[in-house]
Amino acid sequence: MGDQLANRLREERARRHLTQAQLAELVGVSRKTINTVENGVFVPSTVLALRLARALGTTVEALFQLR
Amino acid sequence: MQSQNVVELADRLSRRRALGTGLAVLAFLAIQVVARPVFRADGYGASGPRAYLWAVNAAALLLLLLPIGGYVWGPRVRALVNDDVSRHNARAGAAAGFWVAMAIALGVYALPASRGLSAREAAYLVVTPTVGVALLAFVWLESRAHRDG
Repeated sequence: MGDQLANRLREERARRHLTQAQLAELVGVSRKTINTVENGVFVPSTVLALRLARALGTTVEALFQLR
Repeated sequence: MQSQNVVELADRLSRRRALGTGLAVLAFLAIQVVARPVFRADGYGASGPRAYLWAVNAAALLLLLLPIGGYVWGPRVRALVNDDVSRHNARAGAAAGFWVAMAIALGVYALPASRGLSAREAAYLVVTPTVGVALLAFVWLESRAHRDG
């Protein structure tokens, strides 16, 4: 179980020209939460991962990968 | 208040809380070094007002680990200020404090030099660094969470 969670949140957010604050507003979380998820500091809950994927119009699998 | 403003306000309050908590803890620790409220040869500190002020101060600082930020700004701001990341950071700070408390308490129990300590002095020895470590860990984690990277 030594897997680490990689994510493409920053790339997907930038592709949609959203700031961290704008994405935070869409998802209903703080900017700090978006920042920590992007930096790999905080592993999001399943609910948050699903909300992020929905806000960015993609899937959880496209946003998060195990490495 | 617009959603964007709510997010920005919560961000500002969260940063301010981290800074304020850090300054408060450093002041608390500095006062212990300068004033030594419990350990005074004349016994004044162990039972006088300074000792009670220390206890009130320590208890008030511990409250900062609870999700109580942003209360005056309404439920939305409060939820964002005390979000999953902040609660996780507060728990991690409390866990760091727990291990410090256990290490010092076991040291106080085991070391012969501590046999002459009163219960108050022992509590002071355990609580002061525990509060310091728990809150400084919280502040460091919060600051890292805010840092763009």
